[in-house]
Amino acid sequence: MSAKSKLNQVKAFFRKPHNIILVVLLVVLGYLTLVPLVTIIFDTISVHSSEVRFVKKPAGSLTLYHWTKMFASGVTSQKTFYEPFVNTMVVAFLSCVLAILIGGFFAWTVTRTNIRAKAFISTVFVFPYIMPAWTLAMAWLNFFRNSRIGGAPGLFTVFTGIETPNWFAYGLFPIVVVQGLHYAPFAYILIGGILRNMDANLEEAAMLLHANRWQIMQKVTIPIVRPALLSTFLLVFSSTMSAFAVPAFLGSPVRFQVLTTQMFRTLNGMNPGYGYIMALVMIVIGVGILMLNQWITGRRKSYTTITGKSSNISLFNLRKARTPLTVLLVGILLMIAILPLVSFAIESFIMAPGDYSLSNFTTEFWIGQGRADIANSEPGILRNPSIWLGLSNSLKLSVIISLIAGTVGMLSGYAIAKRRGSKLSTWVNNLTFFPYLMPSMAFGAIFLSMFAVRRGFIPALYGSFWLLVIVGAVKYLPFASRSGINAMLQLSGEIEEAGTIMGVGWLKRMTHIIFPIQKTTFISGYLLPFISCMRELSLFILLVSPSTRILTTLLFQYNEKGWNQYANAINLMIVVIVVGFNLLINKLTGASIDKGIGNN
Amino acid sequence: MPRIELTHITKKFGKFVAVDDLNMVIDDRSFVTLLGPSGCGKTTTLRMIAGLETPTEGTITINDKVVFSSEDGIDVPPDKRDVGFLFQNYALWPHMTVYKNIAFGLENLKWPKDKIKERVEELLTMLKISEFSHRYPSELSGGQQQRVAIARTLATGPKVLFMDEPLSNLDAKLRMEMRSELKRLHRETDSTFVYVTHDQLEAMTLSSMVCLMKNGYMQQYAPPLEVYRKPANTFTADFVGSPNINLVDGTVRSTNPVVLQLSGNVSLRFAPTTVVEVAAGQAITLGIRPEHIAIADETEAMAQAEIVSSLPSGMETIIALDMDGKRLHSVVFGDVDFEVGKQVALSFAHGQFNLFDKESGTNLGQGTLSKA
Repeated sequence: MSAKSKLNQVKAFFRKPHNIILVVLLVVLGYLTLVPLVTIIFDTISVHSSEVRFVKKPAGSLTLYHWTKMFASGVTSQKTFYEPFVNTMVVAFLSCVLAILIGGFFAWTVTRTNIRAKAFISTVFVFPYIMPAWTLAMAWLNFFRNSRIGGAPGLFTVFTGIETPNWFAYGLFPIVVVQGLHYAPFAYILIGGILRNMDANLEEAAMLLHANRWQIMQKVTIPIVRPALLSTFLLVFSSTMSAFAVPAFLGSPVRFQVLTTQMFRTLNGMNPGYGYIMALVMIVIGVGILMLNQWITGRRKSYTTITGKSSNISLFNLRKARTPLTVLLVGILLMIAILPLVSFAIESFIMAPGDYSLSNFTTEFWIGQGRADIANSEPGILRNPSIWLGLSNSLKLSVIISLIAGTVGMLSGYAIAKRRGSKLSTWVNNLTFFPYLMPSMAFGAIFLSMFAVRRGFIPALYGSFWLLVIVGAVKYLPFASRSGINAMLQLSGEIEEAGTIMGVGWLKRMTHIIFPIQKTTFISGYLLPFISCMRELSLFILLVSPSTRILTTLLFQYNEKGWNQYANAINLMIVVIVVGFNLLINKLTGASIDKGIGNN
Repeated sequence: MPRIELTHITKKFGKFVAVDDLNMVIDDRSFVTLLGPSGCGKTTTLRMIAGLETPTEGTITINDKVVFSSEDGIDVPPDKRDVGFLFQNYALWPHMTVYKNIAFGLENLKWPKDKIKERVEELLTMLKISEFSHRYPSELSGGQQQRVAIARTLATGPKVLFMDEPLSNLDAKLRMEMRSELKRLHRETDSTFVYVTHDQLEAMTLSSMVCLMKNGYMQQYAPPLEVYRKPANTFTADFVGSPNINLVDGTVRSTNPVVLQLSGNVSLRFAPTTVVEVAAGQAITLGIRPEHIAIADETEAMAQAEIVSSLPSGMETIIALDMDGKRLHSVVFGDVDFEVGKQVALSFAHGQFNLFDKESGTNLGQGTLSKA
């Protein structure tokens, strides 16, 4: 082949916009996700400045100190790694099982029975997932904290006089319950999608062949949804494994450590090397989960099941149980979705914690000037400049991230779907999904490690707002690219080709043809990063500096200082913004958070 | 023996009426097709008889046993109705092998293992799929999946078999093959088949009775050739037969003898062979089957037309004609071709012709045609 024809080939390749998008994404994402992996490995074997004293080597030199301390040093390893590791796995496994049981039960009830108030259940059940993860944890503390550790007792103790035992108030049990409830909506959306798309004929065929309800469930429904169920399990597992806020709130009072809390301690403290090793371990597990998931969904028996053609499903008649069950489910929903908010409101108006008499109510923590005798004269949150800064940072960050992630996700979805089956497209597809499996805290850690110093033309970004933007945009890209790909796959290529033949330019095709047709799906691709970012803590907590602090990190600080009322007030503020924004977008455009997740 | 009877069956989805006041008797061992365009309520009817759908009103009896009655609140579940159902997309369980799929119903009936094996093997042989017994459905072609689905439905030996467009996902050649297969199975299994299709050819070739439906109403319920010969109205006349029947509008010029004015130049004498009541000046529609239009000598000419197109396929040639601005289709048998644009003489001397009221579309009666 002559040089000229090669050049022409390259030219022809880059004349297609989707090829340009793919190549750019390959380079940028490769740099932002794969290079940090190398730097983080390097970080696990080098001496950091804070470690010079006990490693006894100059900063920057290579050492195996961290690895040996971490894995082969008896009690130290036991305390710093093995124990938190086991705790993490136990917490992740149990909360995942709980989430799937609750979410699966709700999903089955809503899609397969004639329960009442389906719309209400569907909408409200998603709330705990939209709300920040620690919402339920804080609510748990508001209700069940005991005076042995938490100072003032919670609502439950005040009203019943029963002192809650430690195992009930802190540690494994509440963490599992709270995380299970938090991720139940996620399982609900995934399992609900599977059940809704599962061909009802498969069940009807079994019924006609004399199988009873139980046999149908056991021999047809469950085996058919099992691969999808397993993959749901793995997705939820990787989320619960990397959760930070809940164990931090509920575990630290009794020194119950998991990998993420350990990571936070070590990276923020004297031993960053330990933290990087833990981050690496979590990434390896995450990637392992992805591979396991692909293996499960790719097997012989598992495909052709979800045809998407769901004919009229005959609903299971609950008969006499219909009304009681509806009341029960709605009751549970009110308890996990509405009651926490009420408790935040109450707590934020109370002067001395634990005293719920009317005279103890105050607006001090909302609009007070700040009093010398409480919380170092911290003003109430509505007139507190650092809260306003946090709020504006949070909003700015979320808007910018959602714009970047949403747009890039849409373009990547477009390009991936266009070149589906090619190597380039598969690579980019995996790269856009990769950040999903990285535990947030570990992801923050690798960006910390990577951008703490100047890299080529990129200046040292630590402490800058743009570092938060980059990390958030990459981390939430998977949400947006999933909805982008889904939207594009539903659209036949001919729709765009019809425009091409008439000489409509690429930009105009995107803005006038493709975007309008799949508007709601694309908007979900913007909505999801916005909401996730508004309530994100673990991703940013290692990266913020005083000038870039955001609402969630402020909340965490107030909570660590024990300024409960402030923390409750901020949380209420975040929840109201997030839920309100979700409902608003939902009303205006029909896009919703469950559409974005439910489609993958 | 299973005789199925539907009385005053109505099904509403919200405000939409899917099936309206349907009365129908399906005789034992018959092969009945429910035929109609999509959305006419045929699948809903089938699902109601099988018990997969609950009618809003009416009574269904199978074998003189009431399985559904809105008045008495009876609703026998599908598995107690002793019926088989073949789904359009086969609904094979993807996680079970072919063998397991077929054995499932027998296992539920608690058959002993060796009996099950015997029965499954019998079916595998009958449907010529023995070599696939350990494969999963996703590893089979459409035609093979179809056979597995049939075997699974037949396994428990139901006396009534319902089929919902079972051939629509197959290619033309396989469909042809499966048609004769179904007819053979119908005879061999000695059971009643109820079959839903929108393909008139399938209905014509397979069934012993056709139930034609439109917008939830039954239009005609008769043996296929009777539907073809004596369509109850213009809808059923138009729905069966390929190429379509020619429906030519006109008026009744006189009643004794009956003379039909079809256009300025064409008027024909209509000699009734059944009771036909028409009034002079009445607007009518004359149904002319394509095979009843002959290209004739000038001496026998009843009308003149110009050839618009000629589509020879070897065994027959379909020609489109323009008769005074009216488009007609005719079928001429044999390997002949015609010159486009040529003027030809037409004759309607052979065959029975149906006369319809133009306004209501109902059949007024039959007769023969001759020169006016």
